[in-house]
Amino acid sequence: MATRKKVLLKVIILGDSSVGKTSLMNQYVNKRFSNQYKATIGADFLTKEVVVDDRVVTMQIWDTAGQERFQSLGVAFYRGADCCVLVFDTTAPNTFKNLDSWRDEFLIQASPRNPEHFPFVVLGNKIDLENRSVSTKRAQQWCQSKNDIPYFETSAKEGINVDIAFQTIAKNALAQETEDLDTTSGFPNITLNADNNPRPSNDGCQC
Amino acid sequence: MSDISNFSDEEDSRQDDCALVDALSEINFNEHNIDSIRQNKLEESQEQKHEIHSDPASSSSLNFVDVDEYDYLHDSEWINQKCHVFILSTAGKPIYNLHGDEEKLNTLFGLLQALVSVVQTDDDCIRSITAKNTKFVFLVKSPLILVGVNKSNRSEQQIYNQLMDVYNQIIFIVTLSHMKSVYEKRNNYDLRKLVAGSERWVDHLLRNEKRTRICNSSFVSLTHSVRILPMESSIRDSITSTIQSNCNKIKNLVFAVLLANNKLITLVRMKNYYMHTDDLRLIFNVIDCSESFKSAENWLPICLPKFDSNGALYAHISYISDDCEACLLLMTVDQESFPILSNAKKNITEKLRRGNYIEAINTGMKDKGIKLKSDIGVSEIRHFFYKNKKNTQLLCSEITAPYIDNLDQFEKLEAMYYDLHNRIHRTSRPLKLIYEMHQHEIQLAWVTANYELYATFEPLVDKKSVIIAQVNKLLKWIRKEEDKLFMTGTHIF
Repeated sequence: MATRKKVLLKVIILGDSSVGKTSLMNQYVNKRFSNQYKATIGADFLTKEVVVDDRVVTMQIWDTAGQERFQSLGVAFYRGADCCVLVFDTTAPNTFKNLDSWRDEFLIQASPRNPEHFPFVVLGNKIDLENRSVSTKRAQQWCQSKNDIPYFETSAKEGINVDIAFQTIAKNALAQETEDLDTTSGFPNITLNADNNPRPSNDGCQC
Repeated sequence: MSDISNFSDEEDSRQDDCALVDALSEINFNEHNIDSIRQNKLEESQEQKHEIHSDPASSSSLNFVDVDEYDYLHDSEWINQKCHVFILSTAGKPIYNLHGDEEKLNTLFGLLQALVSVVQTDDDCIRSITAKNTKFVFLVKSPLILVGVNKSNRSEQQIYNQLMDVYNQIIFIVTLSHMKSVYEKRNNYDLRKLVAGSERWVDHLLRNEKRTRICNSSFVSLTHSVRILPMESSIRDSITSTIQSNCNKIKNLVFAVLLANNKLITLVRMKNYYMHTDDLRLIFNVIDCSESFKSAENWLPICLPKFDSNGALYAHISYISDDCEACLLLMTVDQESFPILSNAKKNITEKLRRGNYIEAINTGMKDKGIKLKSDIGVSEIRHFFYKNKKNTQLLCSEITAPYIDNLDQFEKLEAMYYDLHNRIHRTSRPLKLIYEMHQHEIQLAWVTANYELYATFEPLVDKKSVIIAQVNKLLKWIRKEEDKLFMTGTHIF
């Protein structure tokens, strides 16, 4: 049964500190960019309505703290995500190397039913900067090795590729959200067994 | 509980009447006692609770910027609703909310999930937040989170009970095992797909929070009981045996319930299987809410959470006839037995008509509650409700002036009853009797082994002898009319 209500897609952004997670989210939702760095404490989220395949959906984008000491809101947020966005800084090789552990941590915490096919999107950010040190090829190879994760090179500052990246995120998230789930076996029958239906004790039973 | 086969308790209830005199004498109605009640209240309020005080500085870790979304959090009408109820999945996906357009509340649902999960990181579970006069109560029952926000001075436990009712109504619709298996397969599942169309049952369950009419129904949920349609016991017995004789041979039929006007007429069950009052209240709610049941026979899978939360019963639901708005539910575990039950219902209707019982039901349906002055002849009691604890059945008096024509007055009365009920049942210090003089009325709450009585008196009755006489007259009358007012005995197919 389809609901007429707008689908809410839960999107989690992960990556090392200062790779630009908050900036990407702000650029996408508010079309704003600030050069000032302000660490995210705990988590933050924005919502945005987007049209995917003629369907209006609401994206709830959870921006998390990259710095370990600010990860105070716990891992429960990963649960029930529809898409995970992994972000690295194209000028900082370490942030790229850490994608593996971010991905692993997400899969452990969120424990999606089908981890091999869970929708990830990888964003290589800060391509407006000159001191690039992670090549497109290297990033693409990694993404291919992980079941063909879509890869985008972005600049939150210049707004390059941000919209298209999030559009892909929404699309992949929706695809997985609406994937058919067999709910027809909805009403398990009851086998009568009086032992399982003890007479309610005090203050409860009608008859 | 209800096998009323145990008559030895009768004696006790008689003794209880006299006990009121003693109990009231002990109290002596002096100021000292009212103080001690107040003292209790004070101490309670100082009790340690799991309280999170709202601290503006601590909210800095969650900042909300949302330009597109309509901001209910700055809408004073929305903010000032006395009661809000939100249901979300543990993933933070919205499922239900009482007020407002849930599509515009995504931010709030996200925040609620955040609050729950922050506390969970410490292997703890959030129970409530109190901010001035507003209580936020959480019921975390994975895969669901229910949150009640209340400004009308309800206790945490009362709000929690309300959330439990809502939770059970959801289970009634989707079945616990089914819901769990869906979320095991997909923890990002949007449960609205399964609940779609039945949200109005939850709305209806919370109808007293969006009050449009003044009625006794909130005392039914407060006391976790059901009301009985008054009728002569001989007539009720005949109706019961009509159902029994037409259903005796039907295999797998577990319950037959006949109700009218939100009141129970009779209930017949399979041997060794019991109907819990909480389940019965959900049935009442669904029937009361669904006008469409009146027009045809219905076949509906329902889950009674207290009976078996992991499976569905199939309910044949239909009204007796065009001229009798009593609803008959025949509940079976056999998915294929619609034709048999449909046939049984036809026979039951026919027999009821032949025995003139339809008329008796219609007469009972006119009842709006006990008339204190004309039925009993007590003039100083304005209103009461009486819970028969043995069978969790509730008796209410008709609501009259000054409450009937004034919503404000009625809501104040209701709030006072909720407060009385809370204080007399407090687990840390349960009381037996509360007697209080308020500015506009006098109130009494009295809990015995067999019943609970909550009554409101005229404010100017200053003699305890008058109160005692009136209460005793009321109790005597209830005992005399017991067979008519309550449903006694167990009926088995």
